[in-house]
Amino acid sequence: MSTERDLSNQRTFLIDLTKCTGCRACQVACKQWNQMEAEKTSFFEGEGYQNPATLSEYTLTTIQFKDYFHEGKNEFSFYKAMCMHCNDPACVSVCPVSAFIKTPEGPVIYDTKRCIGCRFCMIACPFGIPRYQWSKALPLVVKCNGCYSRVKEGLKPACAKACPTAIEYGGRQEMIDEAKRRLAVNPGRYMNRIYGLEEAGGTSVLYLSAVPFDDIGFRNVTRRPLPSRTWAALRFVPTAFITMGGSLAFISWLTHRKEKIRREKEMKEVERASQKGDRS
Amino acid sequence: MTNHWIDLKNSDCIMAIGCNPAENHPISFKWIEAAVDRGAKLISVDPRYTRTASKANIYASIRPGTDIAFLGGLINYALTKDLIHKEYVRDYTNASFIVNEGFNFKEGMFDHWDDREKAYDVKAWTYSADDSGKALRDGTLKHPRCVFQLLKKHYSRYDVDTVVKVTGTNKFDYLRVAETFCGTGQPGKVGTILYAMGITQSTHGVQNVRAVAMLQMLLGNMGIAGGGVNALRGESNVQGSTDYGLLFHTLPGYLPSPEYKDETLETAIARYFPKTKESKSTNWWQNGGKYMVSLLKAWWGENATAENDFCYNYLPRRNGNHSYLQIIKKMIEGKLEGLVCMGMNPAVGGPDSLRAREGLGNLKWLVTADLWETETSIFWKRPGANPKDIRTEVFMLPAAASMEKEGSISNSGRWTQWRYTAVEPLGNAKSDLWILDQFHHHIKNLYKKESGIFPDPIVKLAWNYGTGHEPDVHKVAKEINGYFTRDTEIVDKDKTLEFKKGDQVPSFVQLQDDGSTVSGCWIYSGSYTSKGNMMARRDPNDLPNGLGMYPGWAWSWPVNRRILYNRASVDKTGKPFDPKRPVIAWNASEKKWEGDVPDGGAPPVEDEKGVYPFIMVPEGVGRLFALTMKDGPFPEHYEPIESPMKNPLSKVQSNPCAEVGTNVTCDLNRFPCIGTTYRMTEHWQAGAMTRSLPWLVELVPDMFVEISQALANEKDIRNGDRVTVVTERGSIEGFALVTFRMQPFVVNGVSIEQVGMPWHFGYAGLATGDSANVLTSGAQSPSSSIPEFKAFLCNIFKGGKGA
Repeated sequence: MSTERDLSNQRTFLIDLTKCTGCRACQVACKQWNQMEAEKTSFFEGEGYQNPATLSEYTLTTIQFKDYFHEGKNEFSFYKAMCMHCNDPACVSVCPVSAFIKTPEGPVIYDTKRCIGCRFCMIACPFGIPRYQWSKALPLVVKCNGCYSRVKEGLKPACAKACPTAIEYGGRQEMIDEAKRRLAVNPGRYMNRIYGLEEAGGTSVLYLSAVPFDDIGFRNVTRRPLPSRTWAALRFVPTAFITMGGSLAFISWLTHRKEKIRREKEMKEVERASQKGDRS
Repeated sequence: MTNHWIDLKNSDCIMAIGCNPAENHPISFKWIEAAVDRGAKLISVDPRYTRTASKANIYASIRPGTDIAFLGGLINYALTKDLIHKEYVRDYTNASFIVNEGFNFKEGMFDHWDDREKAYDVKAWTYSADDSGKALRDGTLKHPRCVFQLLKKHYSRYDVDTVVKVTGTNKFDYLRVAETFCGTGQPGKVGTILYAMGITQSTHGVQNVRAVAMLQMLLGNMGIAGGGVNALRGESNVQGSTDYGLLFHTLPGYLPSPEYKDETLETAIARYFPKTKESKSTNWWQNGGKYMVSLLKAWWGENATAENDFCYNYLPRRNGNHSYLQIIKKMIEGKLEGLVCMGMNPAVGGPDSLRAREGLGNLKWLVTADLWETETSIFWKRPGANPKDIRTEVFMLPAAASMEKEGSISNSGRWTQWRYTAVEPLGNAKSDLWILDQFHHHIKNLYKKESGIFPDPIVKLAWNYGTGHEPDVHKVAKEINGYFTRDTEIVDKDKTLEFKKGDQVPSFVQLQDDGSTVSGCWIYSGSYTSKGNMMARRDPNDLPNGLGMYPGWAWSWPVNRRILYNRASVDKTGKPFDPKRPVIAWNASEKKWEGDVPDGGAPPVEDEKGVYPFIMVPEGVGRLFALTMKDGPFPEHYEPIESPMKNPLSKVQSNPCAEVGTNVTCDLNRFPCIGTTYRMTEHWQAGAMTRSLPWLVELVPDMFVEISQALANEKDIRNGDRVTVVTERGSIEGFALVTFRMQPFVVNGVSIEQVGMPWHFGYAGLATGDSANVLTSGAQSPSSSIPEFKAFLCNIFKGGKGA
């Protein structure tokens, strides 16, 4: 299905890891723009200066450090983990309440009001991106939304804006052309591969790397678009599972809805109280 | 920087030695990578494999404190392989100057050493001169006493095998560096050297910088686009602070701060700004007297007149060294009554910081102005201290952050950019200007009321910055630029320029020594003229040469020149050495320079009125042989004060002129490892500004210590274990980061381990941890008084201090 649409103008990241210095301005800019809480970390939770260890409900993008010795040489590499914003996102296709949308601009976004926390998207995502709010009594799913509110206004996402060196942001075809140009001009510098060009049917995040992608934490995913496969797979899942899943989803939806109404009520009361306070 | 940040993109080879731009100057990498994309080579010379090293074409490891051996080896390589830029060396450096018999070098020492004073007689090293006082030269560079031959002889001892024995660098890597960097000696090729505290923080730090400059002159890389000697300054406005006389031995604009013996203005001017005998030398410092008088006029206004030596006697005249360490020493000895720390955190930032923390308790009063509580401001409740025993009265003034106030900021490339208030300061926080203005008013009133021994320098200060709640920062900037105090006519070549009283000075060329001009910092003259605030300009257009100078963007000192010594980028006829990257070029038909603002408007050297390119020294040419360096005319390798080995190059172990201090040792039984300190991207200096920001604390929450796999095995330490690091000064605790990026050095056939650590931590703020500077020593460079933070001896043990 992806072949039929014109994706050439979809906003796309070109992340050139040969230019990434691991400064993590992207990680901080993401937290700042999205007003995400800092995580409580200790020492380093991975190789090199890695912190936090992985994506989480508080962290939508991280630089994954690799610090190793290979054939008598040091490797100190940095991989920016984030939502890949697939052309044909599995999360969109499996979400039972249609909370996920692939926007015409490119970013895959989701509606927290619709999300029921069923976690189908987490199972379906080939890149393992969506995270669950384990800290909450009634958790929802969290992931990078490509700074859609910025992109809509013609701005770059916060991480791309903050990055001094490695991230280009523009139309998908333009980014593909640029990636191919770099591979052609400087073949010795790169692995001859654009990660994201075909992975999962193609994504709005493309990577170039000097070292094998597998070595620095990239997943080997199928090149076929996933919705067709997830759908094909779901067809064969026993009815009982689907029914159970379905009912759980329904229950979850109900509880979340109740919780939402309760919270809205509370907020209104707080507002009323503070207004009163102002007057007195 | 002699060049500027954007100019890095023009280079063919970028050597980062003693700096880590990817981590400590992340934005610079935008330009470094632009060069690399064009095919430039990036070389990283560092004791550790850093984030910069991970991006480099060549990484060469170096034992901390052995930079002169490394650079001296490159000088020798360039000389012996004949890779130098011959025309440049002959015409634009003092290579051809004949040196008198007073200079000799034997077994690690220069002649004229006074063992009692522990100092050289610097005046003994001079050029041989003719009867008129002009230095004798030999253009063939063959005379055995010419600088070139002496240089060759001096560095012939720095052959590759000797060098790598000292530095611990892998020979193959060293040869790659030598071949690649010295390859930029060809005309049409250019290399730049970036450095920071890895070069300067050493007992021979100034000589390290000299070695960098000498290599660049030999390769003809000074004044050229993509070349230069480029100090990456450690803070966004530290360039501004030194420009404005932050250091004890300078007044604003690098005017010398007079000494006790400089009794009158006239004698001071004669001593510091000598005339030259060289006919083709501009010798710009001969104008120093005009800048000095204009500065005195800025400080004491109408009170400063020709009759009273422009209040020269109001200037404190120093007796000796009053650098940071001397202040702290005085404090420790109880000889200092009070201390004002503005954005300064000696409890974390200075060496041997346990002693400094104790010393703070000897003060009667302490004022700190900062964004948060710092280790210095809460020293009285630091771990292990009993507040009841400390009598110091502490005043904490909340300061506004950079985005909460208006003013200028000078970056490493000397660009001064005007900034506006983005948000109002929080709570009672005030700008530094407001705080200093209040100091001024209160102290002046006290002196007026209570008099005192010598009230005049304070009572008569000129202070015309408006009457508002806060001093008008534009009035300050205008005074720095300078203005005329009376109607003046200045004859400039064939025309007469007329100025009215109160007019802004167009540039320092118009400053006078008769009291008719005021200027608070002569090198910034031209930054705020009758055309307005030049620093606020934002014209995004480049020059036709496309070299990224953007002359209409902000303003660069001096006179908006973007590349210093740019007259050295052209041959004697004014033709660029590198036609692809023309910084300036002489237009013979119109008789003017094109491109960047030239270093003085005189025509090319060959012209009858032409002058040499290095206009700030009396010779007019670059100094391969330096006349005034306290520790010798040529940089010579000496070991750091705490060193794991005997100096393989001579019998003299460490810089004989260095101030060593007391609590240092070379006892390898107790301290077998090399210790070194550094910064990271995620935190800033002593951490006061970053360790309270949760998003940054999340990234680097704890003090840690980097060690090699081999050292970890030997000490039974695993990644993430608590460890204790000990030196003669003290001990600290942290997490062990065991990494392949740390490797032992094989020096003189022996393997020596290193322990690396950031110095960002302390006991105040959100993220706390032990301070690396508890470990570092107060040994210091004789010329700059900078402490040797980067190389010391230590030991490491598994377990915390309690273990």
